[in-house]
Parts: sequence; C-alpha cells; structure tokens
Amino acid sequence: MTTGRFFATSFAGIAAALALLAAAATASAQSSDDGTHLGVATCAGDNCHGAVQRSKGSSVAQDEYRIWSQKDKHAQAFKMLGGDRGRLIAANLGLGDPQKAPICLDCHADNVAPTRRGPRFDIADGVGCETCHGGAVGWLGLHVSGASHAANIAAGMYPTDQPLARAQRCQSCHIGNPDNFVTHRIMGAGHPPMPFELDTYWAIEPAHDAIDAGYIARKGRPNDIQFWAVGQAIDLEKRMDLIIDPKNAPHGADPELSLFDCQACHHSMNDLQWRARASTGLGPGRLRLYDASAVMLQVVAARVAPDAAAALGSHLLALHRATEAAVPDYWTKVQAEAQQVRKAADALIPILAQHNFDKSDAMALAKALVASGIDGVDLDYSGAQQQTMALESVIAGMKSLGFADDAQIKGLNGALGGLYQVVANDQAYRPDAFAAALRQLGTKLPQQ
Amino acid sequence: MLGAIATWGLRFAAVVCGVMLLAATTRAQSSSEPGIHLGVATCSGSNCHGAMERPPGSAVPGDEFIIWSKRDKHRQAYTVLLEPRAVHMAQAIGLPDAAHQTLCLNCHADNVPPDRRGREFQLSDGVGCEACHGGASGWLGIHISGASHQQNVAAGLYPTDQPVARAEKCLSCHFGDSTRFVDHRLYGAGHPRLAFELDTYTAIEPAHFVVDQSYIDRKGRVGDVQVWAAGQAIALRRRMDALLDPRHVPHGLFPEFALFDCQSCHHPYDSLHAPLPSAGGLGPGTVKLYDANALMLGLAASRAAPEAARALAAHMLALDRATTENWPTVQKEAAAVRQIAGDLAPLLGSYDFTPDDMQALFEAQIRLGTASGDWRFSHGEQITMALEAIVANLKTAGYVGDEQAEAMTDALGPLYRSFLNDEFFRPSAFAKALKSLQLAPER
Repeated sequence: MTTGRFFATSFAGIAAALALLAAAATASAQSSDDGTHLGVATCAGDNCHGAVQRSKGSSVAQDEYRIWSQKDKHAQAFKMLGGDRGRLIAANLGLGDPQKAPICLDCHADNVAPTRRGPRFDIADGVGCETCHGGAVGWLGLHVSGASHAANIAAGMYPTDQPLARAQRCQSCHIGNPDNFVTHRIMGAGHPPMPFELDTYWAIEPAHDAIDAGYIARKGRPNDIQFWAVGQAIDLEKRMDLIIDPKNAPHGADPELSLFDCQACHHSMNDLQWRARASTGLGPGRLRLYDASAVMLQVVAARVAPDAAAALGSHLLALHRATEAAVPDYWTKVQAEAQQVRKAADALIPILAQHNFDKSDAMALAKALVASGIDGVDLDYSGAQQQTMALESVIAGMKSLGFADDAQIKGLNGALGGLYQVVANDQAYRPDAFAAALRQLGTKLPQQ
Repeated sequence: MLGAIATWGLRFAAVVCGVMLLAATTRAQSSSEPGIHLGVATCSGSNCHGAMERPPGSAVPGDEFIIWSKRDKHRQAYTVLLEPRAVHMAQAIGLPDAAHQTLCLNCHADNVPPDRRGREFQLSDGVGCEACHGGASGWLGIHISGASHQQNVAAGLYPTDQPVARAEKCLSCHFGDSTRFVDHRLYGAGHPRLAFELDTYTAIEPAHFVVDQSYIDRKGRVGDVQVWAAGQAIALRRRMDALLDPRHVPHGLFPEFALFDCQSCHHPYDSLHAPLPSAGGLGPGTVKLYDANALMLGLAASRAAPEAARALAAHMLALDRATTENWPTVQKEAAAVRQIAGDLAPLLGSYDFTPDDMQALFEAQIRLGTASGDWRFSHGEQITMALEAIVANLKTAGYVGDEQAEAMTDALGPLYRSFLNDEFFRPSAFAKALKSLQLAPER
C-alpha cells in the first residue's frame, strides 16, 4: 500500500492530529507461544529488510526496517514511555518506572517472557518486527532460504496479510483485550484516546509492504474495503468482550468509562450538542456506549448480509437501552445484550472475510456511507471519525482495485480532505459541517 | 458591601457573565408562603419602588423596581423560556414548549397557584418582587404605612436581609429543592450550568438595595463573609438533600450527574487535566462529586468551628470514596455532611468574622488555590468569589481604605480571566494570579 495512497501522505498530518499519541500505543503480539523473539537486529541486515536498495530478484522492497525505524511510531513506542507524559501517567497511577511496568510494556514493547527473548532482543526496540510477525526462531531459516509465503506461515510467521488475522493482531492493542485494556483510570491519568480504523491506520503507519506484482503473486491482492469491514467487526467484538468482562463492571456509581463514547462527556458545555439518536433510544444527559464500529458494521452488513444488519441494529438498541434500565441487576442485562451484539458481529466475520468486495459493492458502500451521514442523525464525533476513515478505505479500494479513474480518485480525495478538516478537532466538531462535507463528497462519486 | 461590590459587579459584569451568563436567569422564588402575590405593578409606583429619585424622607432609594426591570436578569427569566434555546430544550425532553411547563416556570417565574395570583399579577414578569420578598397581601398595608422592618417581616415579608434566609431563598432555585432541580437530563438538553455564590451573585444581580445608614439602622449590618459562609452552608446542605433524594438514586448505570463536578467530565481530553490525585481521594479517571461548597464551608468554619470543619473534611472524603463503592454508604455519608452543613449555617451566618479571621480566610483561600493536588475549575471559581466577598467585607467594615480595596479588587481581575472559559482553564494560570494577590489590611 505504498502505492501512493493519497491520505497516507497528504493527510498524515490531519490523521496524526486525531491519533498522534494514540498511534504510539500499538499492536503488540498476543505472542503467547510463538517461539523465541530474536530481535529487530536480526531482521535489519542490509541484505534483508534494511537494504538501501532492492537487491536483484528480491520479492520485497527490503526497506521495511528503514521505514519502520524512520517513520513508524511503533519504533518509538517504548521510548515514549520514558518521556514526560509517560512518566506523569505512571506517577498518577502509582506505577513507578513505566518502562518496567507490564501494563505499559504489553502494548508499548514486544513484551514476551524473558525466556523467549533471543540474544539480540532489545525491549527498547518498542513494537518491533516480531511483535506483529511473530517470534522468528521457528521460521527464520526457511524465510531466508526463499520459502514461499505459505511455507513461512506454516512454520509460524503471523499472517498479517490476512484481514482477520491482521485485525486481531493490531486491535489486540488498538482497543485491547481484557488484560491490556486502557481503562479510564489510565486515560484519566493522561493516556491519549485511541481512535483506530484498520485500513487507514495501516496506510498511515506507514505500511512497509509494497503492493506490487510480486506481492500479489505471493499473497493475493489486498482489498481495502475488506480490511475496513473486518476491522469494524473485530472492533465491535472486542468492545463487547470488554463489556462482558467482569473486571469492567461498575464500581458503585462509577462505570468503566472507557467503554463509553469519549465525546458523550468530553464536550463543551457551551454548545447545544445533544440530538436524538434513534439507534440508541437514549435521552439527553446520558452516558452513551461507544458504538461507532457497530454503526459502520451495520452499513456494510446492509450491503452484504441484510438480515444480519437488522439483527445487529436491534441488539444494539437493546444494549443502549439496558444501560439505563432502572433495576439493580442492570449490568447483567447490559452484559447479556452485549453478548447478543457480539454474536451478531461474530456471525458477520466469516461473511466479511470471504466476501469479494467488487466494484458495485464499493460504489454502493460509498453511497450508503454518504447517505447514512446526511440522512441520519447519528453523527456523533466518534461516528463521523469512523465514517471519514471508512470512506478513505473505500476510496483507497476503488483506486487500488481500479474501480475509478485517476481524475475521479483525485476528486474524491479532495472531498475526503474536507471531511478530515471537520473531524480534525473533536472540540470544534459540528455535525452540520460534516453533513455538508459528505454531500460534497457525494457529488464526486463516480456514476456506475 | 454594595459600594465596593457593586463597582466590582459593574466592572466585571461582562467577565462574570462569561462564566455564568444564562445561569443567572434562574432565580430563587418560593411559593410556600400563604399570601396572595399581588404582582410587580403593585410595587412599581413612582412613589414607591419605581421612583426616579429618592422620595423625601424615604428609607430606601425608591429605584428598586427600575434596577430590577432594567438590569436584573430575573426580569428576563420568563421571556428566555420563549427563546429558541428553551424551545429546543423542551423538545429534547419531550415537552411541547417551555413557557407553560411547571418544570420551567417554578424557577423562571413567580409560579404560585392561580388562586394566589392577584389582579396585577403577570407570570411574564418573570422572577419579580414577590418571588423573593413573598406575597404582599398580608403586609402591603403596614409596609406602605411606615411599619418597621421587623413588623413587615412579622407580617410575612421574607427576611432576605438575613444571610441564612437569603441563602435558602436564592438557592431554592440556584441549586434547587425537592420541587425544582436542574437534573442532568435538562443539562443534556441544553440548560446552562448553574454557577452560584450568594454574596457575589447578590452584588452582580445587581442588588437593588443600598447599605446606607438608614439600611443599617433598620436591618443591622451584615458582613459579606457571613453571607458568603451561609451561602456555602446552605448550598452544601441542599446538595446533600439532593443526593439523599430517592429520585436521585442511580438508575441503572446513571447516577444523577448534576450532583457531580461538571468539568470532571466536560473537559477537552487533549490536555493533561488531572494532576496527582489528592491523598486518599479518588484516583484518575473517576467522576467526582461537586465538592467546592464543602471546601469553602470547611475554610469558613476552620476558626469559628474547627471541630465541625475537621468532621466535614473526614465525611466528604468518605463520601467521595463511597461513590465508587456503593450507594448506601454514599447516603450515610451524605446524611452526616448534611447535618454538619445545616448546623454550621446559622452559626456562620451570624458569626462575627474579625479582621484576623478574614485575613486568615484570605490566606487559606490562596493556599487552597496554589496547592497542588486534586484541584478543579469549580474550586477556582469558588475561591475567586470567596476572595471577592472578603475584600468587599473588609472595605464596607472599614478595615481597608477605598484605594486599597480598589487595588485588591483590580487584582481579582486576572483570577476571573484565568477561568473565563472552563474549556481552557489551566490551574497553573490561576495559581499564578493567586500568588500575586496580597492582602494587607490597615489596622
């Protein structure tokens, strides 16, 4: 995806404004038993992934290490724990040295057990090669001997090229699992919020894979729309797991606020912000669970699995309603409804992972995203943020899959810039401005 | 107090308004006393309270109606219900309008039952004379016949000159009671935040009474610090009443957020909002109860009733902690705090704050504001208004000269500016402005 995706470069700044610090906290491996991690130095040789120039016959660009070390915030993930903010957060939490605290290291480094760290392993490398690609001890030999991608995978390399696998890996930190979740206590101590969308964040990482003929021959052609769709389903599933997790049940009057929509509370009191949202059924002045991925998933499901979309919508409504049930065991109800939403997301995952998102899907989804934003009243900030990244992914898919010509892509990307401007600052966000920017983008969509 | 404070009020009206513009439109009124409310027109005659100049021999300036009708937002309390914001709010909570709803009228007008509305009574007068001073049918006769203030009060005039009585009346809307309360549903629909401090808000209303010799002869001299302290005690007691109200027991996930500190949640999250948590208090990321009244009351009582001040601090800490534990403990601690606040109100409302007391209070406010720890916008707001009340008191009691009082008042400007916008509030700027404040009363 270094094929010149517009926003990877042009809007890195804006996307960074949304996500700058959040991007540092990042996908660590759920590296429970993937062998010994040999360390970044093992991969960075100049004949391997640290080459200045592609060697003859190489199937990859070989600058992967250099992109990571020079441009990718994952390389800074450990170092930033030792910065002023990292130290302040740790102090606020009573953690001592953040560079030694497992709760921090689990996502800010490749925090495998000491027995699984090779001689060249260095925790200070942050989120390095094997955090995502898996410990190399079992497959490095094959890998340097020209094995096929399939053979590498069979030997233990993690299949980051597969949408579902990639989503699981990235989102194990970029939302979190029950054991490495950024709770509101950590947020309150100073941790930045963590917006994420799998396909867009892949591009702005920036990706160190080049989708050329060699890549496609070995791994198939990636479809941005599919990455986006699967990412949304995994996001929703993980969020439901977090609600179901007993650790996140309310303490007294104090719920686990990280499960909720940030801007439901963190907004100015000087503007009239509240609007009725049919998909939540909640009145003004209520806390609202974060549901942007569920809303996005409904849009994609409406196209590829309409029955599942309807089920998801009704369970989502029931989940929101359960949060204000005036009964002592309301949290049990919330958990039960979360279980239902999770099931609905679960049912969609294989469908999305196998669906061939073609040109007609791309056009229909782009239109549906634009329309849902304009017609709907569901444009919370978090929803608008996801909608913007969804459209970026769909447009990226249109480009890489040849569904639109260069002039059309240019027009769409220009309009996408308008969306990013509206969501650049959550405090200044205005739903009507977002709807206007969406309408503008709508005029640029290719006619089928 | 009104000399200094009214000047301050005028000079900083715009600044203060930036903080609490719309909040000031809601206003204490009571409909529990039995009299008929005769209507504003009954009071506003040019020989009575609508005089262009002081009538000969009058005990009061006579321009009270004119000040109210031209400058006091209470006058607009009803008409704001007709504005787009109010209509929007009403719709958000499923009401057809705002101007016909008991929920709104109970504070935005003198909403006594129809059988207690006299001939000249107009609901559209908003929060008028009798909303605060009481229905006049029982005392108007003696009032216009030169009765003493005590006789008027005995006949039913509400004693707004008394700190505790004034606090009860104003706070019945500016915080609320069992029949009127701005809950978080209403806030969420668009109601402005209710900020309040009795002494400062009396001044910026603007007050339509003048504390001159005639006033002092009839009603005695009441110090701003007494008014401030009584206001804090009653505000805290009312907060505890609300916390104990069965309607405010958490419904499902939602406690009554209106009882919590607004900026505890409503702050931009791109700033490092919370410094180190205070010893023993709640950690980062928790929603905190509004506690500024309790902090103020603790300081007010620290010399007058030190044991009560210590007990208050202990129960507030336990109350804070209980919010993350269970509601029965919250209620138990709230009842204890309520008791202390209720006991302190009459004590502090009549306590003779000496110049030493005021100096100590001033310094304690500055210490509170400059200490690191669990520190909030609401604290800064209350500290600033407390300092204003102290300065006003020192001036009107003659403990500092005009020039010195003016200099101190000027020095409060940067404090107000530092929290003009709660979204951009920075404790460091506030602490800096506080540190530059000096108090050196003449002895």
